[in-house]
Amino acid sequence: MRAVIGGYLIRIERRADLRWWHTTLASVLAIVFSLFLVGFAFLRVGADPLEVYSEIVRYAFLSEFGLPQTINRATFVLLAAFALIVPLRAGLWNIGMPGQIYAATLAAFGIAYAFGAKRSVNVQLPGELIIPLMFLAALAASAVYGAIAGFLRGRFQVNEIVTTMMLNWAMLWIVAHMIREGGPFMGRTAEGEGFTLPTSLRLPQILGLPLTVYIAVALAVVLTWFLAKTTLGYRIRTYGESPRAAEYAGINATRISTLVFALGGLFAGLAGYHYFAAVPGVFKIPKNYADFGDFSFYGLITGLIARNNPIAAIPVAVLFGGVSGGARFMQGKLRLAFGIDYALLGVLMIMMVAFQALAHYSVQVERQAAVPRPQLELERGESRVESPRH
Amino acid sequence: MSSLLVISLAAAAVFAIAALGELLEQRAGILNVGLEGVMLLSGTFGFIAAKTSGSYLQGFTVAILTGALVGLLHGFFSITLGSNQVVNGMAIWILGFGLTTYIGYPYTGPLGLKPFPTVAGLPTFFLVALALAIAIWFLLFKTHLGLKLRSVGENPSVAEASGISVTGLRYLAAILAGMLVGLGGAVYSLVYNPVWNYNYLQGWGFIALALVFFSLWNPFLVVAGAVFFGVLWQLSLYPELLFPNVFSRYIWRAMPFVITIIVFIVLSTRWFRLRWGATKPEALGLAYQREN
Repeated sequence: MRAVIGGYLIRIERRADLRWWHTTLASVLAIVFSLFLVGFAFLRVGADPLEVYSEIVRYAFLSEFGLPQTINRATFVLLAAFALIVPLRAGLWNIGMPGQIYAATLAAFGIAYAFGAKRSVNVQLPGELIIPLMFLAALAASAVYGAIAGFLRGRFQVNEIVTTMMLNWAMLWIVAHMIREGGPFMGRTAEGEGFTLPTSLRLPQILGLPLTVYIAVALAVVLTWFLAKTTLGYRIRTYGESPRAAEYAGINATRISTLVFALGGLFAGLAGYHYFAAVPGVFKIPKNYADFGDFSFYGLITGLIARNNPIAAIPVAVLFGGVSGGARFMQGKLRLAFGIDYALLGVLMIMMVAFQALAHYSVQVERQAAVPRPQLELERGESRVESPRH
Repeated sequence: MSSLLVISLAAAAVFAIAALGELLEQRAGILNVGLEGVMLLSGTFGFIAAKTSGSYLQGFTVAILTGALVGLLHGFFSITLGSNQVVNGMAIWILGFGLTTYIGYPYTGPLGLKPFPTVAGLPTFFLVALALAIAIWFLLFKTHLGLKLRSVGENPSVAEASGISVTGLRYLAAILAGMLVGLGGAVYSLVYNPVWNYNYLQGWGFIALALVFFSLWNPFLVVAGAVFFGVLWQLSLYPELLFPNVFSRYIWRAMPFVITIIVFIVLSTRWFRLRWGATKPEALGLAYQREN
């Protein structure tokens, strides 16, 4: 597109090649612009957005209480991002993180329940046996729950976006059945909450952080290596580039899509285990468990902003873990309506897509000399219609 | 039992109107997987407008305008900027989900208007959906404009070569579709279940999207599928009609979603998948860049 404004020629063209700094800059701009837009919500209640944001940063990254919370939330977001990234490398969309998270949580608490953990917080149980069992049950349940969508996609071409969404809602209500109105996992005192995990079944911590935090960071490295260097990773990427070409190369579509969704589900399940069974101060299925399902959609944005790169997802997850938690803290402090972190989620997503799309275009401004318009000189009988066949 | 049928048709109207909008744009090659987001945005803004003004007319107008704007936005990303349409749709969904949770929260609760009038005992909007299905069928298959729209969805470069403006027609389809989907969202939040709650739509937008895929892009099959899902949904909401005291009410709430997936599996026969591949608009979801 060209436009001449005040003697300057402005040319907007689609870039032939997109460099990494274009997309990085686009992501950074998208985040900054979204924070700017959400600042208006603070402005509306008479607070100074800059002041609010500096308080969010102080709370989320510099305070003794906020920092561990930020790290735990970031781990949750990071694992949810892996749940998106692996299937997306194969060109498939996993938006079933909430369902997979709930499935893992129910499995982990189911094991604890089976060993009589509901009796009391102080009940002495062999943690070295039951904790690994809970962990494995969580991963297995979420992998199976995730694999459903992948299998249906590969075998019957049922749209995976629709399936994962249906699976989210189904599991949301199954959790409600388990923890509300006399459900088996209902806590003995609190109405509408799961029972609290006994101290003997809580995941050990290193330096004040649950083990799952370190697992998530290590997974970023392992996942990068797996996707880039192994045969299976190569097959996944080939399938993502062109399912038909992959089919000709002997790659089984059903197997690949089931596998990527099982892996994606497994990572989401790890996120669920992390937050409900390993983060200090939680150790139960809380009343507002659905908020955490919604929160896992931050993983979706993280995966997209990091352009499907597990290691690049780490800083993005830390930022979102902190800002969303801090925004919620400020929401309470400023008596804002519920959902400021949801608003940020929505605005971030649309801005991210907008800026990533705009990164494909270059804008050039040139000083325009008075160039006479070239006259089309047609010979008699010559067609002005350009056809590729001529 | 007849009241069950009536409420099923009311639910079917929501599915059908939204799915007809999506069908129209998919026929022109535009895929919007963010139906849920469009419906949440238009349904919420329509709800707020109707609640504050006390008028259904204002509510529906705001909803349809919102839908048109979101359609335009999706069109801008997908047509002008030519970025991945699935990503754009996801963005629209998350935008709708996030923004309406924050904006709508102070309006949580019932609409407080007297129930929307029915026509001869039937839900008004089910009749509207039927009329729309006929209108869209006529538009797509009996008019010159419809032929052009479909050709843009099948093979945009050939359409362009025969003098059709691909960009213009796709924008037209995206905006019209946005208006219809917006109306669908408002039918949910103003008529079918006029109580605002965060994320009240419960994935209905995604079911409407699935309906389009399973309708083989035929408006009448969309309506038939919508009725089927409407009945299914109501049966699972009022299970005691068929199976009293079997499961807890929460398990019954999960049932429609499970049954929806089962229905997808049952429908996806080999015969169906072959037909599906043959009718699918060839350029669905693909951006079109004009060669200069």
